[in-house]
Amino acid sequence: MAAPVVETHGLGKTFGQHHVLRDIDFRLLPGRGTFIIGANGAGKSTLLKIIAGLSTPTAGHALVFGLDSRELTARYRRRIGLVSHQSFLYPNLTARENLEFYGVLYALSDPRALAVRWLEQVGLARYADNRVREFSRGMEQRLATARAMLAEPALLLLDEPFASLDNEGEAIVAGLIRHAMTMGASVVASAHSAAEIEGVDFEMLEISRATLAPLRSKEKPEGRGIARLRSLLGR
Amino acid sequence: MAAFAAILRKDLRLEARSGESTVALIALSLLILVVMVFALDATRARGVEAAAGALWVALVFAGMLGATRALLAERENGCIRGLLMSPIDPATIYAAKLAAAFIFMLIAEAASVVLMVLFFNLDFDATIWREAPILILGTLGFSALATLLTAISGRTRMGDLLLPILAVPMFVPALIAGVKASTAVLGGAPLGAIAQWLRILVAFDVLFVTAGYLLFEYVARED
Amino acid sequence: MSSTSKLLGWLSLASMLIAIVMVFDYVPTEADQGIVQRIFYFHVPCAWVAFAAFGIVAIASVFYLWLGNSLWDDLGYAAAEVGMVFCTLMLVSGMLWAKPIWGVWWTWDSRLTTTFILWLLYGGYMILRAGSDDSPQVARFAAVIGIVAALDVPIVIVSVRLWRTIHPAVLVTKQGGHGLEDPRMIATLLVALGAFTILFAWLLMLRFSQMRSRTRIQAIGRMLSLAEVRAGGR
Repeated sequence: MAAPVVETHGLGKTFGQHHVLRDIDFRLLPGRGTFIIGANGAGKSTLLKIIAGLSTPTAGHALVFGLDSRELTARYRRRIGLVSHQSFLYPNLTARENLEFYGVLYALSDPRALAVRWLEQVGLARYADNRVREFSRGMEQRLATARAMLAEPALLLLDEPFASLDNEGEAIVAGLIRHAMTMGASVVASAHSAAEIEGVDFEMLEISRATLAPLRSKEKPEGRGIARLRSLLGR
Repeated sequence: MAAFAAILRKDLRLEARSGESTVALIALSLLILVVMVFALDATRARGVEAAAGALWVALVFAGMLGATRALLAERENGCIRGLLMSPIDPATIYAAKLAAAFIFMLIAEAASVVLMVLFFNLDFDATIWREAPILILGTLGFSALATLLTAISGRTRMGDLLLPILAVPMFVPALIAGVKASTAVLGGAPLGAIAQWLRILVAFDVLFVTAGYLLFEYVARED
Repeated sequence: MSSTSKLLGWLSLASMLIAIVMVFDYVPTEADQGIVQRIFYFHVPCAWVAFAAFGIVAIASVFYLWLGNSLWDDLGYAAAEVGMVFCTLMLVSGMLWAKPIWGVWWTWDSRLTTTFILWLLYGGYMILRAGSDDSPQVARFAAVIGIVAALDVPIVIVSVRLWRTIHPAVLVTKQGGHGLEDPRMIATLLVALGAFTILFAWLLMLRFSQMRSRTRIQAIGRMLSLAEVRAGGR
């Protein structure tokens, strides 16, 4: 069995006296995907931030590419792409300038061409020279996804990737995720609600009472995002 | 290195678009100089000591309020996290923010010097050029200090209030040296006469740039 | 109280008593300044302790950033608190000394000025900690401040000294006060230094163990609430 891309042992995160996460034992194998379902404030974002190396656990540890998440070297940080609630985009720069900037930061060759290509892929080519400040939330989400995937990361961490997206946006992002996975990327994504997704290799986990367990769902009403995802990824 | 240039270029570009930092710094410097004129009654002829003092008061207070906006702006949309997650060294972020603060402050100081000459009845002559190295050294030290301390104060409950409380005592050596050197130079002394003050400024700069560069990652790291 | 700190406490009491006796009875009155000069034997040790405590804050800060153990953070915080007290005493005793001798409450002589800056640096550290929540992040901030401030102190000393010599003070400064002619004066000063050092060590140990207890109680509280959450079941 190949070495896991992400592995957590007894992971816990406490803020003051509030235990957001506890006893998290999680494993993600290369090329696989996991959806983590939970209500608002359940700890999904916190878990993703810890895996991304942005937050330190108060108990246990997380291993990413075999390294402790607290000590991710530059070489491995380069291989992680995070889409979070915050877009990490500069509002007063244009879409193109934002992508070019991150291209340079990640030492990619020809950031200019790369920016153009990704803008097309997320359907924002028309707005390349508009400032992000003028974007709608959905457009910003698309651009943030492009930003995260720019360096073709081996590990994608997506915090509610379909939030604020319209039908077209969902299709685009779902397609990008699917493409990344066929190229071997591993994915951990979070969402509010789910239903079973047929024919798709996503493990479904649930956060409740601060810990992870396989999703035991009675059919909840599907979010639009998940319905769309199912139809796109399942085929 | 490329990352440093990219971050600095981005901040300069953003500043060129909004002008927030430089306008704020220049406006603040002007207002502080006006206050100093009335506070020190600069209507006497050739108030070199008052002028030098006022110039440094403006540097310190305008700097505290306006110099580090480039760093604070990274909190919008969580961009600082984007930077921290990228492969770059956190110290590079510090260097770029320091450079941005330094440049913005120097621009404001050029304006301050002009205003100082006008308000305090001085002359536009060689003494102004001799003042330049003193201001450059002092501004560099202040930028290094303020960038590191803003990274701290910006993340605490007390926020803006904490920055002067921390920065002013730490800046005292450079302030003493800067004011003494400026007074001498504006009064006509050559640069050789203020060598010991320049040495102190250089030592201050080396200390704080190095300390900031090494310690920034501990400050930037999230919980 | 542990046995070490009890021992230190008794030692402190004993050495302080000896010092007090020496200052008020044994040492001769200084010719120029009269009885008031005896403040010197408290003033100088307070200054020594204030600077030493600051050094401890700096060293503890380095270790905290390096090793991450909250023990070092507690030590730094305790040293800062106790050091601040002695720094304040130094400044107050300086003022009590200045007034009768020179008729003013404060002189900007180099030693007083430097200690005042030290006091402000301590103050910044304390305000940072007092005004923030208890978290590893704040502890890291405080450690960075502790280190940077300590590195700043030598430059402060040099620049303030230069500042004062270029512009000779109108008032005679206390620099002259160290011409201790009588060996009894030197002996008294040394005893006072020793007594204050022991007192400082004792207070530091007390405060430090209080901080440790607080940290441990918080950790226990977290464990308890965690157990509660676990027991709550799914």
